[in-house]
Amino acid sequence: MTLRHALASLLLLGATPSLGAGRIPYGGELRVAHTGPAEPGEPALADSPLEATLLGLLSRPACQLAPDGHASPALARELSRPAPQVVRLTLASPAQATALARAWIRLAGTEAPSPYRALLFPLRGEGRLLSPTGDTLELALGFPWPDMERALCHPALAPPRSVPAALGPFSAVGANTVEARLAWSQGRPYLDRVRLQATDERGLSRLWSNQEAQVALGVLADAGTPSGAALYATYLAWSPRRVPPDFRQAVESALEREDLTRLFVRGPAVPMPNLLPPALLPVSPGARPTPPPTAQAGRKVTLVYDAGNEDQRAVAERLQVRLHDRGYTVALEPLPRAELRARWARGEYELMLHSLLLPPVPGPALAVVLDAAGRKDLLGVELPRIGALPDAAARDTRARERALALAASVPLLPLYAQGLALRAAPEVGGLVFDAQGLPMLDGAWLQPAVTGVPGARR
Amino acid sequence: MSRALAAALLLAALPAPAAQTPAPPPAATTAPATPALERLAQAVATDVRAMKPEAPVALHLSGATPELRRAFGTLLASRLASAGLAPFVLEMLEAPSPEAAETLAREQGARALVRLSLSVEAGELRARGDAFGTWVNFWSGRTAPRAPSPAAAIAQAVEADAAALALAAVEPPRTPTPAPEEPRPLRLLGAVLARLPSPPAALAAGDLDGDGKDEVAVLTAHAVHVFTAEGSLLAERSLDMLPPGPAPTREPFGALAVLSGPPRLAAWSTRFAHGEVLTLENGALRGVSRIEAVPLGPDARGSFVPGQTAFAPEVRLGTGEQRLAVTSRITTFSAANSRVLLVHPDGSASFFSQPSVAPVPLSGLGAGSALGDLDGDGTPELLTTSPELQPSPDALRVFKTNGSEPTAHEPLWQGSLPSGRALSVVTANLDGDKRREVVVGLTKPDGTGELFLLRQGAP
Repeated sequence: MTLRHALASLLLLGATPSLGAGRIPYGGELRVAHTGPAEPGEPALADSPLEATLLGLLSRPACQLAPDGHASPALARELSRPAPQVVRLTLASPAQATALARAWIRLAGTEAPSPYRALLFPLRGEGRLLSPTGDTLELALGFPWPDMERALCHPALAPPRSVPAALGPFSAVGANTVEARLAWSQGRPYLDRVRLQATDERGLSRLWSNQEAQVALGVLADAGTPSGAALYATYLAWSPRRVPPDFRQAVESALEREDLTRLFVRGPAVPMPNLLPPALLPVSPGARPTPPPTAQAGRKVTLVYDAGNEDQRAVAERLQVRLHDRGYTVALEPLPRAELRARWARGEYELMLHSLLLPPVPGPALAVVLDAAGRKDLLGVELPRIGALPDAAARDTRARERALALAASVPLLPLYAQGLALRAAPEVGGLVFDAQGLPMLDGAWLQPAVTGVPGARR
Repeated sequence: MSRALAAALLLAALPAPAAQTPAPPPAATTAPATPALERLAQAVATDVRAMKPEAPVALHLSGATPELRRAFGTLLASRLASAGLAPFVLEMLEAPSPEAAETLAREQGARALVRLSLSVEAGELRARGDAFGTWVNFWSGRTAPRAPSPAAAIAQAVEADAAALALAAVEPPRTPTPAPEEPRPLRLLGAVLARLPSPPAALAAGDLDGDGKDEVAVLTAHAVHVFTAEGSLLAERSLDMLPPGPAPTREPFGALAVLSGPPRLAAWSTRFAHGEVLTLENGALRGVSRIEAVPLGPDARGSFVPGQTAFAPEVRLGTGEQRLAVTSRITTFSAANSRVLLVHPDGSASFFSQPSVAPVPLSGLGAGSALGDLDGDGTPELLTTSPELQPSPDALRVFKTNGSEPTAHEPLWQGSLPSGRALSVVTANLDGDKRREVVVGLTKPDGTGELFLLRQGAP
């Protein structure tokens, strides 16, 4: 924060009477500018923190993780455990129960495969046999998995917004405007409406400095910029049958994770040397592997990456350069995210950049990572051992230990983890991040009677 | 010194709530298990034993009320006796000051003296003072020099409870005076009455069990709890069997009233589609009937603003023929002795000295506002919290209502509240006297709730 910004904030605070009889005020329109798409896709593909935030305005999963990690109902009216091996979701209507079951069956089936299907792996039939009864969805577990409820709060498990039964705290009233939903089960948002404006980085900067936006989502990380937990993890995956056995050693020795986060990735990012992000598995200093003894030239590989992810493009180009020194000629192939996931599901890739929004709980996060690594076979071995521990802290510890132990045996190299950073004008209150690292816009409110100060923001 | 300056000094003397030792929230809605006096006696006894005094030990207590001193002296002496220190308590009449206590302790053969001053401040019961050896060498002559040991300073504090507050608030017997005496200045002492697993949505008070003392009822988002005057949980009832409401609020909000006639509770949380009338029978709350109008008070009905923590700007009084209509939404309703207070979300308020006359506009009121007779003069005072959105700490102010504009004058009393947002206030007759006590509902930063009791302290 600059001195000018600080002084302007003080002026604004001084000009604001802040009288609200102690209760949070209702009303107003919040202008939000962001660097995401104008319309986020389906939940399993709209999995960057920014897209998940935008999608979450209109469609929420069964539950939501509060900033303290506590799961509270969102789309579901109630989550309960009538028996240790059964999770019961009570929804507002049979249509919602059916929509949720269909969304999960689709995720777990062959139609739209996604690594987030691993979140449903502990269910009997891996989530493919769901059948709601009225407004109730009973989930029978195949083995003890106390983290099931928290896993169900993942944004990828929300129904697609195109389904009429999908509900969020806001409803769309136009191309760029969402309006507070009076009947939202967790309470009507304080704001009357949110006006969204999709733009690029320069546009975001311009809208912010011209005070045309009160919240800027997806800004570059500055000192003091609030950001959510860095759980958007990017990995380099490879197909073991299509690259030489010493590929891991080659790429690890060529990789400078700090350089990636410092020079090539925008927004708040941290190097990720382990299978789980530092937010879930603290980093301990490790020795850098030595390069393979002889770097053979002429090895050709193709690296596919997400065409809609600018960070992935920059990282792919960097890997191309670094691997060249190790004797690899890397061809780059950008693909739409849906096509990328389809290629992942079919195993049709040599190298692939994989970005995943991991749940903020080590056990379910490890499940998603193992599936993304193409080691779904490990889920049936690892998850029951983790779920057998009744104590949550012990489960988290076991998941971390297994992540460290399995790191060398999965064809996946962790690169970096990102969070979502935002800027909010002084008149915006109540804007906090949930445990998933997403800003809770439904809890935001506007200070009454704020008068702008020209040039207050930079 | 003006009252405002005195109040400012009092506020300054109070420790910041953030500096207070936070107590872990209990799982159930109960007051702390061990009474505050016993906890303080145990803490002080531990300090005294640690300095290894020689028996017998004399105790001198000052400050607070005689009842509080006696109760604490009894408990402390019991604990020191258990440790073999043969304690005895010096009477205030014989030793009116701590200095006089030293001489008296020597005269009565004590080998050590513990001098403590007791007080209830900022929700804490405190004991501060010193302890030292009183044995004097025969060859010292007429002077009585202090021995190098034992010697220690003692400063202990525990969170006060309703029982300690009751002892600290006992009024000394009044001597009959022919001349009209000046009204006793208001001085409120506070302590935690009970903890709640979730924030309070509304408060009410009334004699639900016919014992002549009010019970305190609390509505949370999903339940109703009833507490005794001492802070014990008397009954609770989940409202989850009610159908969900069409427009719930993000924050807990609702209305709760003790209905007259056979005492019943009327409760309605915005989480649910309708309210419920409850009776207290054999220590349990039982649903009697459903209600379709929001119970703002025993004889007042209103309606919610859908989805918001506010009531519609019209109140029906009595059988519904009399209506109070104001221009903006209401966040708080309170009535006492035919006076009515409606607080609006922007911190303004409409004060009706009679329901039939035009309201007096007020400003600078908080959502935690209520009318109640705190000094027993037959006229209710106006109590209100801070009007700010995020005060730190929140404060309670008490104004007289017999002037033209109550909040234009300096408050009768003001003091800071523990950490948290104070959004509901109610007055209650917890001890059967003419002066009502104050119960503040706090939303704590950790998402739990708390009832904070304030009652008149001894002068």
